[in-house]
Formats: sequence, C-alpha cells, structure tokens
Amino acid sequence: MRAGAIFLREARLAFAGGGGPAAPAAFFIASLTLVPLAIGQSPATLQAAGPGVICFAALLAVLQGAERLFGEDVVDGTLEAYGLSGLPLSVVAIAKVLGSVLATLWPLPLVGLGGGIAFGLPVEAAGMLALALAAAIPGLAFLVAIAAALSAGARRGGLVIALIAAPLAIPLMVFTASAGRAADIGNAAASANLLLTCAVSLFLTALSPFAISAALKARLE
Amino acid sequence: MTLPDYDPLPLTVSDLSLERGGIPLISGLSLRVEPGEALVLLGRNGVGKTTLLRALSGVLRPVSGDIRYGDTPAIKSAPAICAFLGHDNALKPDESPRQSLAFWAALSGRSADIPGAMASMGLKALADRPSRRLSQGQKRRAALARILVQNRPVWLLDEPAAPLDGEGREKLSATVTAHRARGGLVIAATHQALDWPDARVQELTR
Repeated sequence: MRAGAIFLREARLAFAGGGGPAAPAAFFIASLTLVPLAIGQSPATLQAAGPGVICFAALLAVLQGAERLFGEDVVDGTLEAYGLSGLPLSVVAIAKVLGSVLATLWPLPLVGLGGGIAFGLPVEAAGMLALALAAAIPGLAFLVAIAAALSAGARRGGLVIALIAAPLAIPLMVFTASAGRAADIGNAAASANLLLTCAVSLFLTALSPFAISAALKARLE
Repeated sequence: MTLPDYDPLPLTVSDLSLERGGIPLISGLSLRVEPGEALVLLGRNGVGKTTLLRALSGVLRPVSGDIRYGDTPAIKSAPAICAFLGHDNALKPDESPRQSLAFWAALSGRSADIPGAMASMGLKALADRPSRRLSQGQKRRAALARILVQNRPVWLLDEPAAPLDGEGREKLSATVTAHRARGGLVIAATHQALDWPDARVQELTR
C-alpha cells in the first residue's frame, strides 16, 4: 500500500536521525525525576500529585518532538513532493503521525507506570494511569500534529505549537489524570474516566487528519 | 529494463494569469506542449517562472485562464501525472539515495527502475552515502533520479541544472531525451541556457 511507504519511512527516519524513542522517554523520565525536588518528598503529597504531574509531563514529552514532524518536510521540499504524490494530504498526515508515534512514543505508558509506582500509587492505580496514558497518546499526538502543521516552517515553531496545542489538550489531561486519581482512592469513576479518555482520543484521531490536511494545503499555496 | 511509453497527454494553457502574494506576474499566457516535446521557460529572476511551474503542477490556483492535461484541468489531474523538481531537493539528511529512491518509487505506485535511474544520473558510487554527506551537485542528481523513478509523463523542473557540472548536465540532457522518446513532456524553468536538442524556448517577460 502506498501510504504504508510513508509510515515505514517515518518510523525509519525517527530512528535514523532522531534516536527513535530515546528522546521523548528521556525527557519524560527527567521531568518526573525533578518533581520531588520541586514539590517536596512527603509521600502523601507525591501520591496525590502523581497522576496529574505524570500526565502533564507526558504532554511535554509529546510536544518535544513535534516541531520536526512537518517543519523539516516544509523546509526541505518533501511536502511539495507529497502534495503531488496523488495521495490525499489527510492520508499522508495519518501515515506520518502514526509512523512517528509508534516509533517514538511507545515507551511513555511504561514510563508512566514506573513513575506512578515511584510516586507511591498502588500498582492497580499506576496500571490504570498507564492504560489511560496509552489511550490518550494517539489523541495527543494528532492534536499536537495539527499545531505542528499550522506552524510548519515558521521560525520559533515549537513555541507556537505549545501555545496552540496546550489549551486543546485540556480534556485529555483532565480525564487521564482523573482515571489515575480515582483508581488511587478506590473510586469507581476510574474506568469511566478511562472510557472518556478513549472517546476523546478517538475523536481527535478521527478528525485531526482533515485539519492537518487543510493546514498543509495552505502552506503549499 | 525498458519502461513502456506513456499515454499521450498534451498540455494546453489558455489565457493564463497568475499572481504571487498579490503581485501580478503572468498575464494572458497561452501555450501548448505536445507529448514528446520539451519547453524551456527563460526569463530573468522574479519574472514568474517558478510560479508558472507551480500553477502547472496544480498547487497554485490561477487568477484566470485554464490549464489542462488532455481534457482534464490541472488541479484535478496534475497530482497523478506530474513529477515536480523544486528549488529544494526533498532529500532527508539521514537517508541514502538508494533508500530515498526506493521510497519514492513505492509511493508513486508505478513500476520503476531504481538501479537504472541511479546509473543514468551517475549515482552508482554514492548510492549508500547519507545525503548529508553529498555535495550540492550530487544532491541535485539524487533529486533528478527521484523524478525518474516517479515514472510520470509530465516533468516540471525548476532550475534543474543549476548546481550540476558538465557531466551532470549531459546526463540530464540524455535522460530528458529518453523521457521524451517515451512520449513524456518536459517543462523546465531556467535562467541559463540548457543545451537540450530541439527544445522549444519560451521567453517570459513582465
């Protein structure tokens, strides 16, 4: 399949030039390590703050590689060639985002699991948080990709991406962190929050490719 | 490996007007390019050569006028039949010409002769070198090899020969001749003369 070629190339390039999953995972771990130094080592504080802080750090880790996603394609002329590939740009966008997400972001739920346990959450709660993160990451990645497409090729694109994507990420942040927090206090709302995370993530995954395609088309003209 | 001939598709441009960033560049241009023909667009910097090529590729909407391949407007048909070489080479620094050509061939979904394309642009010795270690001229050759493996009837080339040495220009001229012999069209924008045999020249003026 022709879109499969873009998917495979994106995954290959993520390893060739970007170190694959190393950069987002290292960024995620580093920011979690700093948290106890900033908010204090009291176990009760860490356990209460854990789910929220871990979700927030995961969002930053997703944002971290976003500028490369379309920025390089605009600058080096690849986007122009994709525009004439005969594939709709929305299909190009799906293949690119999925290729880079699967190559670079897969360790994040695992880091979230380890982080949850380190912050003192019970294993079931940490597991619920990791599941919610795994559900949220595709949606987050597509959301960030809209912002990346809008700012592609602009100077200081990374800043613009964060400004556009952060407010739109609020629902996913709320549901993901709530799933972990509810599981921590043994509240039955945990699975409801997990399902809401899945729903928002699916919604974003399904609709973002059209927004990305419109942004890229405007960039080509 | 020889590839079959293309379906004959003439390009017809009628009464075309284009602007770039609100500045009118080309007005009332009409031309026709038959299958097997090459057209060289000449003109000084800023006259609108790149803008015209982008319009021919269907990316840029004309202010007025009409561009057709066969009977279909360019905006609809161009993405399936045009291979576009822009100012930038669309190479990834960590990809070798061989990897890059394999990708573009798979993406275009047509049969392609990758070793043949590399040989005809003189890339054999550079096939596995990452493109960040290629010179400007070598990058241009790799980009031209991409046009070859895309195996499309219409070539739109923007300054194709600018960084090429004498040997590279000869190879480009030979591939253009071979493409035309299969019934392909070539439209190239340049500000220096291209020594392509019996290519038509269209001077663009403001």
